[in-house]
Amino acid sequence: MKNIQTKTAIQMTAKRRHRTSWLLVALLAVLGLLAAACGSDSSSTTTTTTAAPTTTAAAPTPTEAPTTTAAAPTTTAAPATTAAPATTAAPAPPPMRPITQGPGGEEAVAASEISLSTAEISEVQAGNYTAALLWHTSGAFTEAVSKGARDAFAELGIEVVAETDAAFDAAQQANDVATVLAQNPDIIISLAIGPDAGAAAFRPAVEAGVSLVFLSNVPAGYVHGQDYVGIVTDDLAAMGITAADLLADALGGTGEVGYIFHDAAYYVTNQRDQAFKAWIENNYPDISIVAEQGLADPSAAEEIAAAMLVRNPNLDGIYTPWAAGPADGVLAALRAAGASDVAVVTMDLDTNVSLDMVEGGNMVGIAADEAYNLGRTMALEGAYGVLGKAAPPFVIVPAIGVTADNIVEGYRNSLSAEPPQIVLDALNS
Amino acid sequence: MSKASRALGTANAVSARLAMARLVIRLQHLELHKFVVYFAAILVFVFFAIVLRDDGFLTFQNLLTIGRQSAPIAVMAVGMAFALASAEIDLSIGSVAALTSLVAAQFLGSNGFFIGVVVALLVGAGVGFVNGVIAVKVRIPSFLVTLGMMTIVSGVARNLNDLQSLPIRNDMFTTVFGSGSVGPVSSLLIWTAVIGLLGHFTLHHLRWGRHVLSVGADRNAANALGISTDRIRITALMVSASAAAFAGILLAGRLAIGRHDLGESLLLTVIAAVVIGGTNLFGGRASVVGAVVGSVVMAMLDNGLILMGLRVSEQLIARGAIIILAVALSMREQKES
Repeated sequence: MKNIQTKTAIQMTAKRRHRTSWLLVALLAVLGLLAAACGSDSSSTTTTTTAAPTTTAAAPTPTEAPTTTAAAPTTTAAPATTAAPATTAAPAPPPMRPITQGPGGEEAVAASEISLSTAEISEVQAGNYTAALLWHTSGAFTEAVSKGARDAFAELGIEVVAETDAAFDAAQQANDVATVLAQNPDIIISLAIGPDAGAAAFRPAVEAGVSLVFLSNVPAGYVHGQDYVGIVTDDLAAMGITAADLLADALGGTGEVGYIFHDAAYYVTNQRDQAFKAWIENNYPDISIVAEQGLADPSAAEEIAAAMLVRNPNLDGIYTPWAAGPADGVLAALRAAGASDVAVVTMDLDTNVSLDMVEGGNMVGIAADEAYNLGRTMALEGAYGVLGKAAPPFVIVPAIGVTADNIVEGYRNSLSAEPPQIVLDALNS
Repeated sequence: MSKASRALGTANAVSARLAMARLVIRLQHLELHKFVVYFAAILVFVFFAIVLRDDGFLTFQNLLTIGRQSAPIAVMAVGMAFALASAEIDLSIGSVAALTSLVAAQFLGSNGFFIGVVVALLVGAGVGFVNGVIAVKVRIPSFLVTLGMMTIVSGVARNLNDLQSLPIRNDMFTTVFGSGSVGPVSSLLIWTAVIGLLGHFTLHHLRWGRHVLSVGADRNAANALGISTDRIRITALMVSASAAAFAGILLAGRLAIGRHDLGESLLLTVIAAVVIGGTNLFGGRASVVGAVVGSVVMAMLDNGLILMGLRVSEQLIARGAIIILAVALSMREQKES
């Protein structure tokens, strides 16, 4: 009996070992595959996501006003000659400047050109119109856009009947559209989350005759003047260029830079990131991007920056795609590594990065947009819609370069607000 | 061959079989599932050490980075181990960590170090208490209660500072809970060890801890034995949320900010770390030390996959595959032991 039990136990053990070993083998196989995948690890860091639309480099335009296009998902590599130092007799051609382009290749019009006459304002005020603000997310940026829109709507006598936050969920946005339609708004201003999902989400609003004004993006297949009034956005390429210039200034035009980009098919960040990279590569031959890493989860920025420093101990600067989250993590990683001499640039104003910059920390510059102005312009375009006045298809507001020297002005221009008290205190100390 | 030598051979064979049987029984008593996480940690470490030998994985600074980044996960994992041990689950830990990072930042600025830390911990314990009372008294599964609490807490956090980061400029706080060290050992590692040991001692050497395991294993039987199962379940969820609050303090100390979303995304990482560590998802069995080591495995994976230069999509696939394998291995061993 004992022998049978022993035999059974041995068989069971063997069986279990067999199963366990299979799992271990499988685990090893996965790790092996990973090893294979990272065979070209250094080169893979220089690739970018294929899904991400990229900024087109174009010949310099005669004016500063950028032209436009959002849909071109290809990268035009800048000729190497443009980046070469001017050591030959012939003057080097000017560097290729990334430009912001609209979804259908539309030429951009400055936001300052959007205005209403006194008679038009009176007509809108008499119309008792209503509006809904359907945001894709919430944060300091959308707060400022919303504030601009609400102020302009208030001046025009347009009542805001609803405001929503879809938390970057296209399905939630479709629900939001359907919900607010119950209130029969005359105007909806929104950022469509994804061109295709947005096309379906906003179709009921189009059919209900609502004047639609979009921020940054446009639903696929929508016809300007027929399905929507217009698109208003930042000068995204100019923001990337501004960030590149700020970093280059801080580095004195030379150094090794780490590039953390938003690894998602998101028009706004993709345009800004690509413009930064293109402008560094085209315009600053003595600055080299030695490390690239995509970021999908903002909370991973600290790990990414720490890893960058491990692999590139001579790093002089880091670009991070936006402030709230990614830049916070990068600053924490630099502090932990004692890398007080690594310069950081980012996009959008936020308290922590502003404070770090004012206190003389790693942050050397922030590229921002005129978020408040975006909201005002969208509201004005909404009024264009209810008046039946043709609006330009693609309108942009300028980029702002913010440093410790102009931070108060930066906050006023970007967010129509004073800097947070803690930043003001640091500025005055 | 003589009868005597045949008998001797048979006796040897029998004794060999008996020795094997004793070994098998010993192996069964060893409960291999408890060691899966250590094998996984060693395997992942050795793999990255070989593949990334020229990419700084083994540098002191990088190992320190892994330790620092695993600290909040580990602290949350210790709390989650208690919740799971009592056959409950706490989905609100991520948002509790975020809220308490903001609360700490807020009170540090106005009331100083001690009040900031205490209020943040009390907020966590309070959330856990509410979770527990609703789950126990209203008889709603903790999965649903904490799911609702997750969004409530997240909403409160978003309102606290208008979605802006709240910088922390209290040197004592950032030193004690973030950048400080004792010799070469980061304060975050010390906190991880303290919380881990405290959790281990509480779960396995205090009566309350054994009651938590009993309630998780069989609530009716625990009731019959006179254990106040309601009290145990409520306190287990309080421990979970308090640990999350402490993780929020560590996150705030490490990043020198409070933010409405700090640590929110760590929930699934924590659950994976705890389960890899040998804790049963359905109660009755838990390993605090395993949960801590599981957290280090998760941090090591994140670090190594980034250092390998993989794109985000590749990192996600690799991480998911390794987690599934490790959990499968751990759970299979649990079932068989």
